Amino acid sequence: MRRFRLVVLPAVLLFVAAACAGDGDDGGGGDGGLENTGNVNVLSSGDPGEAEAYNAIIDDLINSQTDYVAEIEASGEAEQQFQIRAQAGTLDVYLLPQPGTVAQLARSGNLSSLEDMGFDIAELEALFGEYFVSLGEVDGQHYGLPTNINLKSMVWYPKDDFDAAGYEVPATWDEMLALSDQIVADGGTPWCVGIESEAATGWPATDWIEDIMLRTAGLEVYTQWYKHEIPFNDPAVLTAAQTFGDVMFHEGYVLGGPENIPALAFGEAPLPLFDDPPGCWLHRQASFIPAFFPKGVKDGVDYDWFPLPPIDQEGTLFAGELAVVGTGGNRPEVKDFLDRFMGEEVQCAFGGEPASSRISPNINVGADCYVNEILADSAAVLTEALANGTGGFDASDLMPAAVGTGSFWTGMVDYMRDGPNSIKGILDEIEASWPTE
Amino acid sequence: MSAPAIPVPAAVEARAPGEVRRGGWIIRITVAVIVVLWLVPTLGVLITSFRPEDLVVSSGWWTALAHPFRAAEWTLENYSAALDAAGFGNAFMNSLAVAIPSTVIPITIAAFAAYAFSWMDFRGRYVMFVAVVGLLVVPLQMALIPILRLYADGATLFGLRIFPDLELNGTFLGVWLAHTGFGLPLATYLLRNYIGSLPSSIIESAKIDGADHFTIFWRLIIPLSVPALAAFAIFQFLWVWNDLLVAYVFLGGSRQNQVLTMALRNLLGGRGEDWQVLTAAAFISMSLPLVVFFSLQRYFVRGLTAGAVKG
Amino acid sequence: MTTSTNPGQSGPGVLAEPPPAAGRAVGVFLLRLLSALAIPVVAFAVLWATFDYLRDENANRAIVVVVALVVGVGGVFFLYWGMNRVVAYLPERLREGVRPYIFVGPALVILSVFLVYPVINTILISFKDAQSQSYVGLENFRFVFTDHDMLVSIRNTAGWIIIVPLFSVTIGLAFATLADRLRRGEAVAKSLIFLPMAISFAGASITWRLIYSFRPPGFGSNIGLLNGIMIGSGQDPIAWLQQQPWNNFLLMVIMIWMQTGFAMVVLSAAIKAIPLEIIEAARIDGASEMQVFRKIIVPSILPTVVVVTTYMVINALKVFDIVFIMGNAESDGTVVIAERMIDWFFVGLNYGRGAAIAVVLFVAIVPVMIWNIRQFREQELTR
Repeated sequence: MRRFRLVVLPAVLLFVAAACAGDGDDGGGGDGGLENTGNVNVLSSGDPGEAEAYNAIIDDLINSQTDYVAEIEASGEAEQQFQIRAQAGTLDVYLLPQPGTVAQLARSGNLSSLEDMGFDIAELEALFGEYFVSLGEVDGQHYGLPTNINLKSMVWYPKDDFDAAGYEVPATWDEMLALSDQIVADGGTPWCVGIESEAATGWPATDWIEDIMLRTAGLEVYTQWYKHEIPFNDPAVLTAAQTFGDVMFHEGYVLGGPENIPALAFGEAPLPLFDDPPGCWLHRQASFIPAFFPKGVKDGVDYDWFPLPPIDQEGTLFAGELAVVGTGGNRPEVKDFLDRFMGEEVQCAFGGEPASSRISPNINVGADCYVNEILADSAAVLTEALANGTGGFDASDLMPAAVGTGSFWTGMVDYMRDGPNSIKGILDEIEASWPTE
Repeated sequence: MSAPAIPVPAAVEARAPGEVRRGGWIIRITVAVIVVLWLVPTLGVLITSFRPEDLVVSSGWWTALAHPFRAAEWTLENYSAALDAAGFGNAFMNSLAVAIPSTVIPITIAAFAAYAFSWMDFRGRYVMFVAVVGLLVVPLQMALIPILRLYADGATLFGLRIFPDLELNGTFLGVWLAHTGFGLPLATYLLRNYIGSLPSSIIESAKIDGADHFTIFWRLIIPLSVPALAAFAIFQFLWVWNDLLVAYVFLGGSRQNQVLTMALRNLLGGRGEDWQVLTAAAFISMSLPLVVFFSLQRYFVRGLTAGAVKG
Repeated sequence: MTTSTNPGQSGPGVLAEPPPAAGRAVGVFLLRLLSALAIPVVAFAVLWATFDYLRDENANRAIVVVVALVVGVGGVFFLYWGMNRVVAYLPERLREGVRPYIFVGPALVILSVFLVYPVINTILISFKDAQSQSYVGLENFRFVFTDHDMLVSIRNTAGWIIIVPLFSVTIGLAFATLADRLRRGEAVAKSLIFLPMAISFAGASITWRLIYSFRPPGFGSNIGLLNGIMIGSGQDPIAWLQQQPWNNFLLMVIMIWMQTGFAMVVLSAAIKAIPLEIIEAARIDGASEMQVFRKIIVPSILPTVVVVTTYMVINALKVFDIVFIMGNAESDGTVVIAERMIDWFFVGLNYGRGAAIAVVLFVAIVPVMIWNIRQFREQELTR
């Protein structure tokens, strides 16, 4: 027993000594009233190559004029990294692509609210629209700043072959199905669908169903859906899922067959569009997919896109980013950076960067800011949708993580594998997995 | 370790005395078969790293073996793309700056502890040692957040500060300590096994000669343990060199602090399908650990302890 | 820029023997102990100053490495040496009692901070709710043992911890023994088996995708080796990683491929530690190779086999990356315990469940530990 005390006593003394030495060095930086550290770190799940270009713009327009240095840090590990930093309190800013998790994170006390940082919510709503800003609202406080937006309701097609075959861009859903039948009759296969994406396998199928849901049930029911005011196995959802299934499981519609959809990487799925003759003719995917097209194909010549047609009503599906600030990020230079970052000057400069895939949610940024034709057209569609109230944010990104990045995805994989009759049971399962608050 | 007395059966085949039966044909063939099996996956990666992108996505790598002399099959552009990666040189230095101390420090600490667990008698040595080994099971990811919080803010218990606020997040020191912490269980386990199997006669005779534990450790045990130290050094270096998560969490991913694994991972962008560049990057990243392996593996020689027994 | 300086002998002026009176004895002893502690504390302060330099983000990396090596390693060694000196000042009867703690002390301290503290933290969280706001008792553990995916993961993990160590250790041991007998090329052969360990995990995942890759008809030719063989022999390609339950074995192959090198290296070192004379003596006496192997080599390296097997079992218990990256584990039926833990903690954002799964891992290790204790005791008895 004495030996034990002999060990503990020196150990405690050592720690005390080190603690005194440590505090002395630091000069007492406390938790409240965080000071300017001269660094702003912005974590992003985007493409690191693009981030290089953005950092050059930031260096030019922001860092050169301020007393701090801001850097966008983009990596594939960002989502996990964000969790770790947020919980440890070392996060500055993260460009969060899944606003649905804001609620969970805010409630666990790991985020700083915009009000605490000194942002004027009314000003933000004027800049981004009330809908977008409200996506980051939790218990009366706002936690997310819109920083990016992209269009999802797009159908890509091989323009040159399409026109040569005499096909026409459909204006309604039924016309699109008729076009598919015609392609089949001509001996081709209309659709390419692939949903494999490592641990995220299944997400493109959720986009399909969301797009359809907007067009069959309308924005109001859609909102009730992701807010869980109606259950996941509600008849409206079932209808949308079955409409999706009608296209996928239709004989001869999907290249490779529906059972292979979960095995096909989403990035490889559009490639047969560019075969000669095209292996498939229609590919529904978001605005970033041209990055996966073969090198050398030209937009407007080799490929083009048309908006996914309405069914019972119009609908526009979009997704985007909310910038969230960690508890350690409540500092003056972080606020200053965010103010400049979301301002017109920087946002327009991003649009003028050829490597960029970002569209600004700032309504003052005109479509002429975009060097990339596709982005410009998408921006036009998005602004209109937001103005008319027909734009819906990607629902799976708004649901709690256990569903939105969990059971919804795996449910889609099961749907493709088990066939059209499995959808009722799958929706029941997803509903059961919704976390109880 | 003295081999227990083994009763040797009566002669089964007549053999010339002193003849050492070394590798016969069967052994060589078996070894060759296993080596080939092991090599085939890596061979695929190596070949892919030299092929141009359009061939990689459209045909299997084995087709290249059918026409090895066609110039269009091969290219060096993947390697130059990988080497041109932004900040490659800086990332390489960062990786070195992380890996070398993170290898040497745990070995030192573990060697001391392993010796104590093997040859010193004190209360609770079994329990302590088994607890150390049991810590092998702690998943890394569970430790990241508590430690990062500890680094950033320190810790207080009932108002009393029990861990100083060191601001270690983003520093090299933080990464070294983290790697040390995560590597200690395995290091202690391996080294204790080896040190504990050294012949007790050596230790006894040294004690009789009046040496205290410290001297025994420093003058006797360390030189004898070189194979085990070298083995663990290889593993730890490899693990730290190829590690992405620990460096990212504790050192950060900023351009200045990126380690090599991070820089190469970012080459892919968010796409993950640029296989030809990733395979080239994997081989580049592999080169240094292999050099380490080759240079250290000459310590795996027979007879290090045999000499000690006689001497 | 400071480098390591020798803090000098600031120890107390020491008497060779403690004074006779008991009360004063304790007092003087404490005084001596405290002032003798000045050595490590001062050493720590010096190290601290140097490490402060090392924390500077803009320091030249090469210098950082050199300073780290000198101060880090030298400093660590000096710490031990200093503590040893302190122990020398202790009275005779305490000296050998305290010395072991000097040797294991730094290791225990570091482990306490980096591993024990997170374990305690995890256990506490496992009793709390999803956002760690309030206690929910055993709710999370009930989930762990009733959820369908969790049960599948337990079944799969059981498979992993049996199959992977079995194959890795067997092949590693066989290879180490055989390579030991090669006249030439031993180093090359061992290096080639060891090669997979040098490939980073990202590289390994690419490697095996190139083997298991599948493309549906119409999406180009198959570039995976297995499907290449299937097509070459006239059959249709298969989506290998989606075939349940065989996809589990395919993933285990990856781990075996990567880990056998470790087993081989460690067992090889152990085999080489067996004095040659014993083996030669047995051979001269007419023992066949099989008998040499079974009756001399295996018993001698048995402790090492225990160590390697234990490590393999623990690694198999913890496997996560391989499963996580090769497709959607839930749909494919390849879930394992550690993957579930990460999924619930970082993706599902349910910290309570993730922590509860981690606790299950901690508990699962207990039988292995018991086995180890038995082996140590036996080994020490026969030493």
